[in-house]
Amino acid sequence: MLIDFINNYLMNGIVLGCIYALGAIGITLLFGILRFSHFAHGDMMTLGAYLGLAGVWITGQPVWIVLPIAMAATAGVAVGIDRAFYHPLRNAPTIVAVIASFGVALMIRSAIQVIFGVEIRSYARGFERPILLFDAVRILPRHVWIIGLTVVLVVGLQLFLKMTRLGKAMRAVSDNPSLARVTGINTRAVVIATWLIGGALAAAGGVFLGLDTQLDTNLGWNLVLPMFAAAVLGGIGQPVGAVLGGLVVGIAEELATYPFFGGQALLSPAYKSAVAFAILILMLIIRPTGILKGRVF
Amino acid sequence: MSLLLEARELVGGYGGTDILNGVSLSLSREEIVVIVGPNGAGKSTAMKALFGLVTVRSGTVWLDGLDVTNAAPETLVKRGMAYVPQEANVFTTMTVEENLDMGAYTRRSGIQAAKDRVYTLLPALKAKRRQPAGELSGGQRQMVAIGRALMVDPKLLMLDEPSAGLSPKVLDEILDAILAINRSGVGVLMVEQNAKAALSMAHRGYVLQGGKNRFEGPGPALLANREIAELFLGG
Repeated sequence: MLIDFINNYLMNGIVLGCIYALGAIGITLLFGILRFSHFAHGDMMTLGAYLGLAGVWITGQPVWIVLPIAMAATAGVAVGIDRAFYHPLRNAPTIVAVIASFGVALMIRSAIQVIFGVEIRSYARGFERPILLFDAVRILPRHVWIIGLTVVLVVGLQLFLKMTRLGKAMRAVSDNPSLARVTGINTRAVVIATWLIGGALAAAGGVFLGLDTQLDTNLGWNLVLPMFAAAVLGGIGQPVGAVLGGLVVGIAEELATYPFFGGQALLSPAYKSAVAFAILILMLIIRPTGILKGRVF
Repeated sequence: MSLLLEARELVGGYGGTDILNGVSLSLSREEIVVIVGPNGAGKSTAMKALFGLVTVRSGTVWLDGLDVTNAAPETLVKRGMAYVPQEANVFTTMTVEENLDMGAYTRRSGIQAAKDRVYTLLPALKAKRRQPAGELSGGQRQMVAIGRALMVDPKLLMLDEPSAGLSPKVLDEILDAILAINRSGVGVLMVEQNAKAALSMAHRGYVLQGGKNRFEGPGPALLANREIAELFLGG
């Protein structure tokens, strides 16, 4: 019973939580620094996943090897998108950039559909033998990779934000943009860094999801709501909060389908994305600043 | 006495309305100069115009003989001008030391020396350096804000109402620190609501009214002027 719970529900929840976390970090950083909700972030994940697929096709290497390339390429595209679409709108009311991000989302998705087609695809992956722990807990190697790499990326980001000049400047702009300006902080560099980080992490999340399930062109768009829920839950502008929020939402969604009372699933899997909605609404009512005190919408 | 800062006939404001209708002022590196005046006289706006935060529609600002009218704050910081806004003047989620690091963002070397200098001028900060600035008292925050501005070794320090919301005792500490900073060779330009305290320590003062110069002169002389006292300083 307990083992089934861990193997089939908790592990999946943690993996899903890691994927949400990688997207939610970008959403929360972008909100903190550029002060707008970036609804194209899910499609940026899709882009990362498909760039990974292209890398696999071209090089014939496993997706783990091409992951850094997919991350770098997506980061570059993210900076380009900002330059072309969001930068000109920087002084307009925030809602303009938010609406523009819906347009960008559609553009990215359509471009992917034109180039890669709308069929469902997958990274070539043979059968994976689960790793057996304590003779009972089964973990898929790809899950170990996903969780491990997420930890590495999150710790790396945290060190960057705490230790480096540019990382601290990102926190300063997020904390108080007008003071950052009079301090002489180069906001341009901060904005570029934010897009590079947001894009790279989104690509990692997209590749991980494509690897764990399969690739379709709606892959990232379907994640937008739970990722925003995660960012709000964790506290807007707080990357560590986004990770916690991602894990809470991911685990909650998976556990909601566990048959806690007898044979029936608590919630039909078809409805599990409603869990993110419920968490988002509850959090906004009870504690709008999130787990780690973030900005209020 | 060479002029560090000179502004002549500044006209400007936010959007379409002019708040400044011809403000002129000057300051040498040895001086503490205070701008006083009634509410809405354009004191803070004048300072923001000097620092490139308010568009100057006509008039000129020179820093060290160089025309810096409407230059970006980032450029002015690199040229030796530092500005402490009145409100929200610290990064509350960052530690005192990180605030100082941010003050040094535009410089690549001598950061530790600048930090040591700030800790010497504002010793209260040293013990608090690992604490988030948001947890500090009003006076300590003001010190952090001034320390942050000093990290570029500015020639000119501009302070917008450093006394706002502080108790008289804390205000004295801040003014003492400002005197010490000035003696270390930094010109100080200050906008102050608390005209008595500020003018008594200033070398010179300007009284603004309606976005224009109304009086100017040595600080104590302005304080002694009955007309000014009655008009602007509340007797």
